[in-house]
Amino acid sequence: MNIGILQVAMVFMALAMIPCMYRILVGPTILDRVVGLDAMTTVMVVMLGVYSFVHESVFFLDVALVLSIISFLGTVAISKYLDEGVVF
Amino acid sequence: MIRNILSFSFFAGGMIFLFLGMLGLLRLPDVYNRLHATTKIGILGAFGVMLGIVMKVGFNSMGIKAITVGMFLMLTAPMAAHMMSRAAHRHGVGLCKESIVDEYGQSYYKDQEKE
Repeated sequence: MNIGILQVAMVFMALAMIPCMYRILVGPTILDRVVGLDAMTTVMVVMLGVYSFVHESVFFLDVALVLSIISFLGTVAISKYLDEGVVF
Repeated sequence: MIRNILSFSFFAGGMIFLFLGMLGLLRLPDVYNRLHATTKIGILGAFGVMLGIVMKVGFNSMGIKAITVGMFLMLTAPMAAHMMSRAAHRHGVGLCKESIVDEYGQSYYKDQEKE
């Protein structure tokens, strides 16, 4: 069993995901949960980037782009719904 | 050789910045302070990781894709943070106890009184 860069970086990113989980589960208001979800998507994008960096493979970068677009659209939709009561 | 060292330093620095931003999400007392930590420091860390990928592989298809992801995150994070904080303020989420000024609230209520 050899421990390389990929394992160390993935464990580090999993440790960075724990505060987002905490903020989603016990956040006092609903906007805290939205902020935690947005931050967790950023951590997921960085995880896919870590895999692409170590293995030099291009597959997961498409997934990272789509995930960041979906995160932005979801955040804007939830914020507009909480702000004005309608999405569109 | 020096390219490998530079790309790995950008990569590790980005991950450290991302971890510190998520630590701020856990520690700070208020929605607005948490938005500062996650959007600014977290997006800086993600951009650092993507810049490390570009420095490692050069400007082939993978590098262009990585810099596209980084630029998209850097362009859309301020918009998302602005919409979240405006929704929080209009939704009635209060500031933390140590804050001393609320200029958006004062101007907002002044506009409402005029109408």
